[in-house]
Amino acid sequence: MGVKDVIESILSALVPSLISSPPEAIQRIILLYRLPRIIAAALIGMALAISGAALQAMLRNPLVSPHILGVTSGAALGAALAIAFLPAYIPIELIAMVFALLAFILVFIIAWGWGRGSIISLVLSGVIVNALFSAALSLAKFLTPDPHRLASITFWLMGDIGQAAKWADIYRMALIIIPCITIVVLLRWRLNILSLGDEEARTLGVNLTLERGFCATICALMTATAVSYAGIIGWVGLLVPHIVRLTVGSDNRYVIPYTLFLGGTYMVLADDLARCLVTEVIPIGILTTLMGAPLFIYLLRRAGRVWR
Amino acid sequence: MEIGKENSIIRAVNISYSYDSDVKALENISFNVLRGEVVTILGPNGAGKTTLLKCLLKILKPHGAIYIDGKEIQKISNKELARKIGYVPQRHHSIFAYRVIDFVLMGRAPHHTMFSLPSKSEYEKVVEILKILGISDLAHRTIAEVSGGQLQLILIARALIQEAKILLLDEPTAHLDIANELKVLSIVRSLVKKNIVEAAIMTLHDPIMAALFSDKIILLSNGVVLAYGKPEQVLATENLYKAYGIEFDVLRRNNNILVIPKKLPEI
Repeated sequence: MGVKDVIESILSALVPSLISSPPEAIQRIILLYRLPRIIAAALIGMALAISGAALQAMLRNPLVSPHILGVTSGAALGAALAIAFLPAYIPIELIAMVFALLAFILVFIIAWGWGRGSIISLVLSGVIVNALFSAALSLAKFLTPDPHRLASITFWLMGDIGQAAKWADIYRMALIIIPCITIVVLLRWRLNILSLGDEEARTLGVNLTLERGFCATICALMTATAVSYAGIIGWVGLLVPHIVRLTVGSDNRYVIPYTLFLGGTYMVLADDLARCLVTEVIPIGILTTLMGAPLFIYLLRRAGRVWR
Repeated sequence: MEIGKENSIIRAVNISYSYDSDVKALENISFNVLRGEVVTILGPNGAGKTTLLKCLLKILKPHGAIYIDGKEIQKISNKELARKIGYVPQRHHSIFAYRVIDFVLMGRAPHHTMFSLPSKSEYEKVVEILKILGISDLAHRTIAEVSGGQLQLILIARALIQEAKILLLDEPTAHLDIANELKVLSIVRSLVKKNIVEAAIMTLHDPIMAALFSDKIILLSNGVVLAYGKPEQVLATENLYKAYGIEFDVLRRNNNILVIPKKLPEI
């Protein structure tokens, strides 16, 4: 299969009358397996990376990743419960999404109800909810009756783009992720202001409770969507914004668009490696972390002077 | 609407504030800042200077009334207030290494919605203001790379780009050496005298600097106003003794007031 086959397959699907289609087997592989997988990976990578960048700016903390919002551990618990106890016809991603949003609502209530949405209250409530849901996840695994289902939970938690690589899933993901991405792109300069801290942002006329809450909700929505479909994929949301800041500086007017581009690319590449490195498909969550951690150490060493 | 005080730009009437129910951080503070004035809130550590400043910024809500440009502060939205008052914090802790020019540009936030971006003409305004403050050469450095004195000027630039009538500065010279201290305070004074801003209010803990640069001084101690008026009225030996617990000689030389401790505290 060559580049020509790929282009012809896609073109013939878009405008059937113009071009003679390549052999059906090739076309099927490209249109039903490869292309959706690439699009799913790109969507998920973009969502996680841009959430990470936005949250790092608005929480004034370069070590924050989208998982701070609690949605990841929520999705994990939901998926585990669905796999362990529910019949197979109920979609796992649906239950994962419900629990992810539940976790975020809990974070939101704690942070905004009692902490007025201050940075520290948001980070702390994220930590608390993550701990709570992780414990519940362990309990769910402990109580899972069937060892095969337990294995499925473990695999789900490692992350797999393949789970999300069907056109129907892509449409549903895109329906949430693309509007959220658009909003964050529009908010990119405002994120600079939010990154100045509570007092300075307020004296620059920002309605902190409202704007930080809005921004966190958008990030939570797209992260929840990504992890509900593809499982837990670490490091993209932490790492990609850092690489971007080292290249284009800290101004979010540039950080956000570049993060979007690099997040998508990083995930597509990681997924390619996951499929091609060995004969088995390595779960992508493992690969992003294996690639990400050493890269991150290297970047932190190099960038000591930028983040003081 | 406040009546008969056309020239007044900030007016505080009987404001009181307490963090806990028993201890009053501020008690019955009244003053009136006119257009063209530099007013210093002077007092020892813990006198309530920062509390008073936070009331003027609507970060704290005191009892009593504060009028900004004739309008009661509680009726002014954050955004509208940010167009009236440019705030210069004591220091800025940078997490992200923004370039100076981008950092100053953020002062335009009160003129934007959540979703809008600054325009090219706003960029040009920043360039102009950096030139006025004499820090054009810093424009493309990052704020992590500048000195304390330079950062203070950058923060002032950010407040000026807000195009607010009033400049509010919290201990603008707390971390500066004497040369930078004199430079920053001279700049603040000249901004008012050249009518780039209509008034400036700052907190200071040093009576010597307050005497040199203020039109009026509000001397605070333990949350109450000990004296309020022109430097030569406020900076009297007995007032300073009440505020600081130390006896000062107050000397006059060439229209300047010098405050010198009579003897050093015994330890």
